[in-house]
This record gives sequence, C-alpha cells and structure tokens, in this order.
Amino acid sequence: MPNLIIDEQEIEVPEGTKVIEAAERLGIVIPRFCYHPALGSVGACRVCAVKFLQGPFKGVQMSCMIDAQDGMVVSTTDEQAVDFRRYVIEWLMLNHPHDCPVCDEGGHCLLQDLTVSGGHGIRRFQGEKRTYRDQYLGPLIQHEMNRCIQCYRCSRFYQEFAGYRDLGVMQIGSRVYFGRQKEGSLQSPFAGNLTDICPTGVYTDKPSRFSGRRWDYERSPSVCINCSLGCRTVVSARYRQIVRQEARLNEAVNGYFICDRGRYGFYYAGQDDRPRQPLIHGKEASWETSLKAVCDELARISDTFGPKAVACSVAARSSLETLTAVKRLCRTMRWQDPAYGMDANIHVKVKNAAAAIDSDLAVSLGELENADYILALGADPVNEAPMLAMAMRQARRKGAKVVLVDPRPVDLPFDFVHFPMAPGAMGHWLAYLLKTLSGPDTPDMPGAATPEHSKGAAPENLHDLWHTDQSAALTKDLFQSSRPIIVCGTDIVTNAVPSLASDLARRLRSMKKTAGLFYLFPGANTFGAAMLSDSDTVFEKILTQIETYEIRALVLVEFDPFFSFPDRIRLEAALQGLDMLVVLDYLDSRSAKTADVFLPTETLYEAGGFFINQEGRAQKVPVAFQGGRPIIQTGAGSHPPRTFSKDIPGHDAKPAWRVLTELERGASGSLDKEIRFELMQWLVDAHSMFSGLLSKGPFPDAGIRIDAGQGAGARVEQDQSDASHPGVESDDDLELITVDWTFGTEELSVRSPFLGQVEKAPCLFLSEKDAARLGFSHGDRVALRSDEGTIEVKLSPAGNMARGTLVLPRHHRLDWQHMKALKIELNKNQILKPHGNA
Amino acid sequence: MLPEALNASLQEKISSAEHPRELVVDVMLDLQDHYGYLSDEALEAAASLLDLTPLEVEELATFYTFIYREPVGKYVIHVCDSVVCWMDGYESVQDHLCAKLGIKMGETTADGLFTLLPVCCIGYCDRSPAILINRNVYGPMTPEKLDDILEKLRTEAG
Repeated sequence: MPNLIIDEQEIEVPEGTKVIEAAERLGIVIPRFCYHPALGSVGACRVCAVKFLQGPFKGVQMSCMIDAQDGMVVSTTDEQAVDFRRYVIEWLMLNHPHDCPVCDEGGHCLLQDLTVSGGHGIRRFQGEKRTYRDQYLGPLIQHEMNRCIQCYRCSRFYQEFAGYRDLGVMQIGSRVYFGRQKEGSLQSPFAGNLTDICPTGVYTDKPSRFSGRRWDYERSPSVCINCSLGCRTVVSARYRQIVRQEARLNEAVNGYFICDRGRYGFYYAGQDDRPRQPLIHGKEASWETSLKAVCDELARISDTFGPKAVACSVAARSSLETLTAVKRLCRTMRWQDPAYGMDANIHVKVKNAAAAIDSDLAVSLGELENADYILALGADPVNEAPMLAMAMRQARRKGAKVVLVDPRPVDLPFDFVHFPMAPGAMGHWLAYLLKTLSGPDTPDMPGAATPEHSKGAAPENLHDLWHTDQSAALTKDLFQSSRPIIVCGTDIVTNAVPSLASDLARRLRSMKKTAGLFYLFPGANTFGAAMLSDSDTVFEKILTQIETYEIRALVLVEFDPFFSFPDRIRLEAALQGLDMLVVLDYLDSRSAKTADVFLPTETLYEAGGFFINQEGRAQKVPVAFQGGRPIIQTGAGSHPPRTFSKDIPGHDAKPAWRVLTELERGASGSLDKEIRFELMQWLVDAHSMFSGLLSKGPFPDAGIRIDAGQGAGARVEQDQSDASHPGVESDDDLELITVDWTFGTEELSVRSPFLGQVEKAPCLFLSEKDAARLGFSHGDRVALRSDEGTIEVKLSPAGNMARGTLVLPRHHRLDWQHMKALKIELNKNQILKPHGNA
Repeated sequence: MLPEALNASLQEKISSAEHPRELVVDVMLDLQDHYGYLSDEALEAAASLLDLTPLEVEELATFYTFIYREPVGKYVIHVCDSVVCWMDGYESVQDHLCAKLGIKMGETTADGLFTLLPVCCIGYCDRSPAILINRNVYGPMTPEKLDDILEKLRTEAG
C-alpha cells in the first residue's frame, strides 16, 4: 500500500491507484477532462498536471497517468503546475465558440468551471476558429461539435465501455470529429449517457432543451422503476413537471450510467391526459364524495356477500409503503388476501427466487462486474434489464466467459456463447449440469427440484442436447472458474428454473468457489411484493373468483391488467361482472377509464417511498416535487392563469398508501404526519426485515440490502402443469413466448413520446429453419390465430434462436393479449399469411 | 457493386488473415485503386467484407493521409510540410505549385489531372524539400524541376 503526500497531507492508497484518485480521496479534485473513473486514464487532455516534488517522478506530470508510489510528494498548487494547467485550458479553448449563454450545458459544464477556476479569463488567440457541421443523432441527443475539446470520453464510453459501434472519432489533428459515419439515430440504448459524460456541450439532452438551467431545477436523487435493477438517478423538476433524468453514482448498482429506457421513461408523470381528479363513472367528483361512494358500496358488498367478496390487486411499480398499505387494508377489512402477482407461475418463480436470495449468495450489479464466469439462464439483458448488459460487458472486458442459455435471438454488446434452447428444455439441461457437477462423491446435493428432473421426465433428445462439445466446454470452464455468477430471469423460464439456478449457485459455493446469484424480476418492486405476499392469491385467481361471483368488488392499486394481463377477452368479461371496480392510479390506463370510481394517486416523484430491487436492496426515494398539473398545461403553453388559490392547481392526487388508509377509515382528513407515522409502524409489522429501513439518521445512498432468505418463506412447490417438455415434439407445434423489449413493452416508458420515436416496430421472431419449413421469409406479415382472435405481425427469422419457439414482444402497439397466455402452443395451421393465402 | 474479380481477391486475402480487421488498410487501398478514391460505396464494401461498421472503417479512412475520401486527380501531389522540408523551404514549393496549377492546397485542377495535398513527413528528409506523386518521390525540389515534372506528367497523360 503506497504512502504518499499530496498538498502536505499524507495518504495511503491501494496499489495501482492513480495520483488523481489518491488526491480525490483527500478531497482534492484535480482538474480533469479525459479522465473518468469508469473509463480510466488516457492522458489526452493534459489538464490534470501536478508537480511531483519528491519520489520517483520529478516535475510537472499528468496525475491521471501515474500510479501512486511510496515516497511521492505531490503539489497540486505549485505555481508551475497551476501555470501549466492555465495554458492547457487556454489552448483547449482556442476553437471553442464561447457560446455558454445559449449552450444547454451552461451552468453544469465542466469546461466552463475549469476555464473559470483555471484562470483563463481573457481570450488572446485572434485567429479563425475551426468549425464543424453537426449531425442529427436521433430524438434524444443534440449534437454541437464546435464545443468539442477532444477529450475522447464519448467514443471511449460508446465503443469501449458500452460496446456499440456506430459513434466514434474520425479525422485527424485539428479536424478530429466525434459523431456517426452518417447522420441518424444512435443505435445504443445507452446513448443518453453521452450527455452525462461529455464535459462540455457537444452532446446535450435533447428532450429537455430550452426548459431551464440546472440551477432552475428542483433536483433530487431518485431511483428508476422501469425495470427491477433499481438504478440510481437524479431527477430535475421545473414548473411542476419532471424535465430531465440523469444517472447518479451508485457503485453497488448502476455505477455511473443508466439506460435510455430509464433516462427518458419518466414522461408518464406529466402526461397531458394523466387523470388528476377523482372520477365517479367518468365524472369528476370530490374526494369526499368519491371515498364515500367507494366505502358505502364496499361495505354493502361486504355485508351482503361477506368480506371475502372484496379483493385488491397491486402491481410491482408501487412503493413498499403502498404494497404494505394494501396488505393492511385487506387484513383489517377481512377482504381477500391481496394479489401481488399476475398469475400462479410468475408468483411461484418470484417467490422461489426471492427465497433463494440470501446475503451470502446474492450479488449486486456492481459485484457482477468482477465475475470470471457468467452463466445467464432465460435472461435477455438488453431487453429486460439493460444495465445488466453493461455490467456483464465489464466482466467480459476483464476476461470473464459469458454463456447464455435462452431461446430468444439475444443480442449483447460483447461476444458470448449462446445456447438457443427452448424454454421447456432449460430446466432439464440445468438438472443435467447439476448432476455433472455433483459427481458420485458429493452426496449432499442441495435443492429439491432436481431429482424429479433427472428421473424419467427428461425426453430422449435431451441426451443430444446435453452431450455436445459446447456443454462439455461449459462444464470444464465452470469447474475452472473461481468467481462464477448465475444470472437467472423469471419471465420466460419454467417454474423450476429459478430454484435450479440457486441450487447451481449453492453447488458452486460448496465447490469452494466465490459463486453468486443474480435474478431478474418482472417489476421494480417485485421483491418487496414477494416478501409481503404470504398467500397464493394472484390476479388470475381473483379473476376466476369474479367469474364464479365469489368476488363482487375489485380494487386495483396502480395496476392495469389491460396492459399486462395476457387474456384480454376474459379480463373484459370478468370485470363487467363486478358490482364495483375501484382503480387507484396515476396513469391514464384503460382500467382507470373502466373504473366505477377512479382515485388519482401520486407518482414516485411526488410521493417518494421505498423500492426493493431484484437483489433485495432497499432504496429510499425522496419526494422530487410537490406535484400538480404542469404549468405548460395550465397555461396551455402561455402564461399560467392569473388566479390565486392556496392549493397547487391539479394536485388532487394523493399517495396510494394514503388513499388506502382513507378507505380503511371511511373518510379523508387525518393528518398526513399522523398517517405517515403509523405507516412506518406498519412496515415494521409487515415484515421483520423492514425494521432496518427505519433506523435513525440519513438513509444510506447505496441502499440497504435486505436478507430475505428466511423471511420470504420456504420454497413454493412448483406447479406441475408448467413442468413442460423441452421444445415441442411435433414439427407441427410451436411454442409462442411473449417477451420484453428495451423500448415498447414496459408500462411506464411506453408513455414517453421520445422513446416512442426510437422504439422498434413489433415483429415475431422464429428460427430461420422453422421459417423455411413453414414457407415464410423475412418481412412477411403473418397472422397468429388463437381462439380469441388474430394478431398480425411482421416476421423476422433469426439464426440464433431455439427451434420450435416463436418470440413475440408484449408490445404496446400489438394486441398480444389476444394470445390468452404469456406462453402458448400454436399449431402451424394457426400461423397464416393474411388473407388466407397460407 | 464490386467487380467479381476484385471481390474474390479481397475475400481470399481476408480469409487467410487471422484477424480480418488487421487488413483494413490493404482492403481500403485495393478499393481505392479500383475506384480512384475511397467512395462511400467502397467504404461500405470494405465494412461488410471485414465485418466492421462503416463508422469503424471511416475512423481509419479519415485518419490516413493516403486514403482519399473524395475524388482526386490523376496525379496526387503530396507536398511534405514536416520539419526538415520546412527548414529547406517547402513553402516555396507549395506556392509555386499553387500558382502554376491555379489551385489551392486540397484542390484539384479543372482538367482532373492534378490534386495538391500536404503530407507530414515521407521519410525523404535527405532530399528535402520533397514531394510525392502517385507513390514516386521527387526532391530536392526547385521551381525548374517542378515545371519539368508537371510538363512530363501532362505529356504522359496525353
């Protein structure tokens, strides 16, 4: 551990620490442009010069290029170093247009800060400046090359860090140009990070242009809820709307970056047609009237048919407070147990996954970067949880092997081994892998899910599936690895897979490996919901009970089954049979429009709350702004109305947990503070693990990892009906699975007009061999017929996917809900060319 | 579309390389010899032959002095402007050529015969000030010698 002195302060740092980092640990921030902790050092900008007074180096040197060593004495304030940096800034500014007053970076610009603090105040260079033509880079990023100081951060991030290949550096010398070969939308779903890492205004956030300076914004830390990873962000609000979202450093989760789904996914909060008033049968009503209407009717139903005739269903985009309040309400009123999941399969997978995570096995996204072997099962990182792909790439860059077992045509920004395997085969394949790893001398094989798989259940072709060179190579690599991590999705996999994944991780642990386990969940707060759920009630079960008239009233809490439930016709029919449908939400969902009574709730940005990500990390989201209708809407783009009131216009929404407590009490009016205090108590009561969330003092920025292991209950017996066969045996049958895409399938981000411009049109993937066999070619339109209707979609044959599988995105521009289930089997006769000419 | 023969010879070259992308400069030069310059079409062809993106080829194409991304004249005259040629007065060579051809540096004569471009050191410092015309080096240059060379090339081009 080298010990050195920087500006007369002594510090000991780990071997390999650069002087610039060592100084930062002392709180001394040496100027930098090209250096970035995530990208490393290149020594291109020369602005981090310091003077080495003693030790192995002498004189003015670049602090980002030199490792801290014993005996070094460094001065950052030495006159020679200060002078050097001033000249560097002056020459970096030679061609800069000095357009700070009209530049969108002005006010949070590193170049601006360093130019001022570096002492370059007066321009001496009188020559002509070189200028560039800017490029159109799509709807998210604004390009302005004249401001460039050639730090190379953008191309290093885009190509080296993120692994995309359509933005880079061209030309040479004073003509160096950062951009694309031709104008056009950037292809990387991480492109938004360019606006964060560019130290000046070459890349700026396009959707938030002209909306204000950074100092105009209410800025607050937040958490992204567009997938289950829980990346840390900073949101900026102005004039009663969120205008921008940036990445916020959380080394345990997202590091310095976020994906574009998260960055531009917040527009639902300020949508024009967001319902902001309680509605009774579509007509605006006061809170009092609406609550009374709900309470009276629910009381009547409860009295007439018994309290079990009322049910509640909540989605994983709600805060832990709301999830807890739902449970509390159902308990107090003796209604049905709340439904936290959509159907029994998802419920089983999520419960088993959550139960398998304990602090010993679970790894964070940050820790995943240190794996030397990653086996991903039923996970499509870029589409399901984009930042996972970034973390896997960092592991790959450090030499990790990445193996992915998934039927989909998975595309990742790095090279990996792909086993395109039908969803049904994965469980068997895993069981084989476990067996191989066990060997005869390891009798204490953990887990219950394995034996029945290795018995007669496996079909004949599994033998061929396993006995391949690739499988052999995989096993060998796994044996040789020392830090293997199992990544497991919970969407398309069969019910046994999450448990098998944890068995595998435990098995590797018992082989003295630092093995880890990393799950993906279907929603932002699914983990929290799994911890709270202690019954097998799921939304699908509630529907069944509605159909048999056991349930007469349904309360949907921030949950829109019209978006996510796979059987639309059944849903419509069932909801019509209800005596009362109450919807609490902040989205203009179809459920909200169908509701007998609609009660507006606040978004994450207005209500804040706790969210628990897929590794069990609880993060606290503070309130970002006070809510209300955006001024751009109240003023219709002009000056807002000149009327005065004590309230914030359009701010009738309340946090969902508050509305739920009011439903319990039958009236509004209790003090917010009082309820909040009680709510915290409920959290502790709801789950012993939650008590850690309420400790005094500031909540840790990186969150608190909750050890659900014992808390989430024992492993749920898997539903045998889903223990499906590997692939479809007959050539005439294909299995259709519905999947997530980066853009276009996630409930909140599909409401972003900007992501709407970059999302791909829906298409149906099937393997090239199947396409040839069925007589289809690329770009054909096909009609998928189920007994509930037909959907038409463009066909996209892919080489790298499982045979016998059809992959359909749950795209908002597609009525995929006519397929009746998340996974179905289709006969080839059900796949037609439109107009019956198949 | 690339001519069959060229395509085949490039494919063969690439297939024998361990890392195809290491051949990017050779491929670009071959394509340039065919098209006269590295046209957009040639750039895309190079990218698809080498499994690179057009951007990755462009990054290199625009880095190297002898890859021309715009049409050039029959004779491309590179005037060395590096240190030794500068000490020996390359500016007079450059000025003479500009005056004689009636174009500025970076331009091509109307008859499509000559293009003037700078180059930073061609390693012929012993013959400074030196110039390079279509892979042939001339130097040390004087106005008279330049006139002779231009005249000779004009005749040669007919």
